[in-house]
Amino acid sequence: MIRINCPYCGEREHSEFTYGEDATRTTPDNDAPMEEWNKFVYERDNPAGEHIEYWHHAFGCRAWLKVQRNTITHDISWVGLPHENPEAAS
Amino acid sequence: MSGFRHGAGRLGDAQLNFTFDGKPMLARAGDTVASALLANGVEVVGRSFKYHRPRGVTSSGPEEAGALVTIGAGGKADPNARATMEPVTQGLEVFSQNCFPSPKFDLMSVNGLAGAILPGSLFSAGFYYKTFMWPAALWYKFYEPSIRAAAGMGVPPKVADPDIYDRIQMFCDVAVVGGGSAGLSAALSASQSGLRVVIFDEHNDLGGQLLNEANSDQNADLEQWRKDTIAALEAADNVTVLARAVCWGRFDGNMLAAHQSVDGKVRQNYIKVQAKKIIIAAGAIERPLVFGNNDKPNVMLASAARRMLNHYGTATGKMLAVFTNNDSAYQTAFDYSDAGIKVSAVVDSRQYPSEALVDGCMSRGITLHTQAVVTEAKGWQAVRSIEIADLAANGQSVSNRRRVACDVLAHSGGWTPQVQMAAHGGKPPIYDKTIAAFVVGDQAPDTYSVGAAEGENGLLAGVAQALEAAKAACAELGGTAGAVTAPPQDRDGATNIVPLWSVPAKGKQLVDIQHDVTAADVVQSHSEGFVSVEHLKRYTTLGMANDQGRTSNVNALAIMAECRGVSIAEAGTTRFRAPIAPVSMGGFAGREIGKHFKPVRRTPMQEWHEKAGAVFVQAGMYMRPQYYPQAGETIDDAYERETEHVRKKVGICDVTSLGKIEIVGPDAAEFLDRVYINMFSTLKVGKARYGVMLREDGIVYDDGTTSRFAEDRFFMTTTTAKAGPVMAYLERCLEIDWPELKVRVSSVSERWGAMAVAGPDARATLTAAFPSVDFSNEAFPFMGVVHAEHNGAKLVILRISFSGEMAYEVYATSEHATDIWQTVVDAGQAYDIVPYGLETLGALRIEKGHVTGAELDGRVTLGDVHMDGMASKKKWFVGKNLKQREGMVHPDRPQLVGLKSVDPRTPISTGSILVTEANATAGADKQGWVSSMTYSPELGSFIALGFLRGGKDRIGERIYAAYPVKGKNVEVEVVSNHFVDPTNDRVKG
Repeated sequence: MIRINCPYCGEREHSEFTYGEDATRTTPDNDAPMEEWNKFVYERDNPAGEHIEYWHHAFGCRAWLKVQRNTITHDISWVGLPHENPEAAS
Repeated sequence: MSGFRHGAGRLGDAQLNFTFDGKPMLARAGDTVASALLANGVEVVGRSFKYHRPRGVTSSGPEEAGALVTIGAGGKADPNARATMEPVTQGLEVFSQNCFPSPKFDLMSVNGLAGAILPGSLFSAGFYYKTFMWPAALWYKFYEPSIRAAAGMGVPPKVADPDIYDRIQMFCDVAVVGGGSAGLSAALSASQSGLRVVIFDEHNDLGGQLLNEANSDQNADLEQWRKDTIAALEAADNVTVLARAVCWGRFDGNMLAAHQSVDGKVRQNYIKVQAKKIIIAAGAIERPLVFGNNDKPNVMLASAARRMLNHYGTATGKMLAVFTNNDSAYQTAFDYSDAGIKVSAVVDSRQYPSEALVDGCMSRGITLHTQAVVTEAKGWQAVRSIEIADLAANGQSVSNRRRVACDVLAHSGGWTPQVQMAAHGGKPPIYDKTIAAFVVGDQAPDTYSVGAAEGENGLLAGVAQALEAAKAACAELGGTAGAVTAPPQDRDGATNIVPLWSVPAKGKQLVDIQHDVTAADVVQSHSEGFVSVEHLKRYTTLGMANDQGRTSNVNALAIMAECRGVSIAEAGTTRFRAPIAPVSMGGFAGREIGKHFKPVRRTPMQEWHEKAGAVFVQAGMYMRPQYYPQAGETIDDAYERETEHVRKKVGICDVTSLGKIEIVGPDAAEFLDRVYINMFSTLKVGKARYGVMLREDGIVYDDGTTSRFAEDRFFMTTTTAKAGPVMAYLERCLEIDWPELKVRVSSVSERWGAMAVAGPDARATLTAAFPSVDFSNEAFPFMGVVHAEHNGAKLVILRISFSGEMAYEVYATSEHATDIWQTVVDAGQAYDIVPYGLETLGALRIEKGHVTGAELDGRVTLGDVHMDGMASKKKWFVGKNLKQREGMVHPDRPQLVGLKSVDPRTPISTGSILVTEANATAGADKQGWVSSMTYSPELGSFIALGFLRGGKDRIGERIYAAYPVKGKNVEVEVVSNHFVDPTNDRVKG
């Protein structure tokens, strides 16, 4: 079981959370060209290794969290709030 | 009869009674079913999976592949239980499996004969792939019934399991898997650091291989060490000792999963342990040798024969022979001989066993045959003699065959470390030539594989490894492992094995005894091109049985490696997956069975509906009234009556299940402008507006009505199905996308009970119910919102309509909702008010042409449902950018239409496809589909909503709604989706 250290609630089992989405994407401007929106909505990297993603603490405090997860080992190396970012070194 | 009760072993004197196939038997407290059956002289315990060959006890542990039995009867019956792992309890009922009429005489064993006569045995390798291909017509008539009758194991009970299962969540610092000498030492040492320790062992008695040792004066100090160590662990507050708990998988985040059998109210616990460090001391399992008829009852692993004698006091036979390719099996011969049981031969495939072993045989008068093999076990049902022969120096042929008498043959092909749990960490095991087996080698993070599980069979050496691991694990957790007493005696771990993967002689040589896979099957798999170990496994089903290849894997892949001319290391192992042992489904379910499987949400008015005789239907987690039948009514009668009544008079419907979200803050209006396609900032206080949300890709996401309670306060309703997802989505928007917006959202779904009051007499009804509210058209127009109080209840009344009639939705604080419902019903008596259910709700909205989840199915654009005009051009909203893509606005997209049966009494099935030709067949041009249907009392006809290619411009066309699977083909007329009151006059009346 993956365990996620929610900044509000502490370490909890991942069954309390739902995966949200890739947190490495940047939302285009409202008036950005359609191609850019198309890329944003449909194109995803599928990295083998560290990945930053949003998780929702749906059965806890209901906060949206940013999580750094290794897609190979499922190790969670960092959890923060949506506007935060892990140190580059981690 | 060959086995008998020889002595006490480590068991107590208490006698137990049990039955085997109804025959009364005696056991001692501490016996397993296997040891007790052997002690009662039972040799044939069951029949094999495919060939119905007689099978007996082959081991003394979890690797048991022969003695599979059904434990208990009725709902408690547990099929395919390993007799070696099931303790005998007083009155236990044990049954043989897969045999008719009895295990000793079985009609189906003719399969074994057929295999010898027919070209290619009936059940040989790849059987499933070859047999089921052609001719298909024979599948149901012949193959399936006959195979089901012939192959298989125990029969699952047909009645519900009356036992209780529990789930337990545990946390610990150090988890130790395996309670042998290494595991016990590691756990005790780690416990002295004060850290929390959990130790698992799947057996009833802890001690591992120590239990194979004779319980003699000579070993008294060793036995005392075992007992003292267990007692010290049980006494420690920070240690949990879990006996009879099989640890069957290791998962992410160092979670270990185990099933523990317990006696008492609860039958089994499913235990999840969250560990910081894992010490795997799972031991090793003896491998069988592969020779002719090696599956015959009374052929058993040497260590098992030894444990039966020394621990259970059960002699497995009156005359023992031993066949080995390594040192370890000699001790079995010595122990039997020392216990006064005749040992007729030790057959060693090696040329030069050590002097000590040769002396050991000589001093006991045991005949030793070196450079010799057993070619075949002989005997009608169980072993009565063996044929042995000399092995050529190159190992490729045998000569000088001769008979040796015996009634039990103990064999050993070396030891296989139990690497499964360690391998779950992700690293494939590596081949160690000196012990001819795979070991873990490269350890996964936080994991220490020690002792025999890591290929170290020596007693003191294994314990030393375990103590090192405990020290390292504790140190990493900031603790200090304590010093523990080492076992007072040593046992040499060197087996001096010379691999012998199969005996070069004819006869049925079983590799996987449980799945009846022979050495010939492995060779055949190779010759047919299935050469990788993963293919071999699937082609032959080798290692798939409930022993999970414990005894068969290494032998099989060694034979495959030989066929391929590659090394065993190169052939590799199959990937180890959880569960490594058979586990009950009951444990996973725990107490979440029956009504506890899933929570049921109830609306405040549930009891009222029950009293009114409603028939309920599941809608998400809610049980909602489907219809309220009157005496003698069918579902169709009831909903047609209710529908007609709402259109003519007035009805009331529970709509509590709608999602309700309050949106509050200075930027609330701006927020709604972004998530809805239409404008909400222009909505006046005290008004409601229908809104539609899109996904980022431009597809319709959800719809509902949002009211403005105050400048900075809105009340949103969502569809029942999307209540949860929309809430999470709004939270995401505010926290991730637009944190600058000052808005809070809260789900208030549980705060409000809700009811729709619809029909021409709705106004009169509500006026009578709530005299303080002015329901006149001027004061309370369509899309108006009114707050009120009534007998302590807070009310929000929206004048909105899903039915197309004049209608109101009354929201009342949950604790008062039933009172309010009753108030409305009482006031409505004068107007013949009826309650209506989901069927009528559906019929009314289909007549009106309103969409629900059946239409908004995640594929539909605004244009498809004729709502593109609602989308604001003045502002940006989610989905705006991509909804304009070429494919999203193409005129040929399927668009929402109404469909009317040309013959009004012919129903149109939901899920039908729309085609232009009558009696369409596969390959017809499919132009759309039917999404919902109902009978419309207003139109006197069956009607439907559907999506039709370019449907907007096809009104008046006659097409067909085809349902080929049901042989239905209904001629329909394409009409507007607004069947009733297209000009929307009624809602405003």
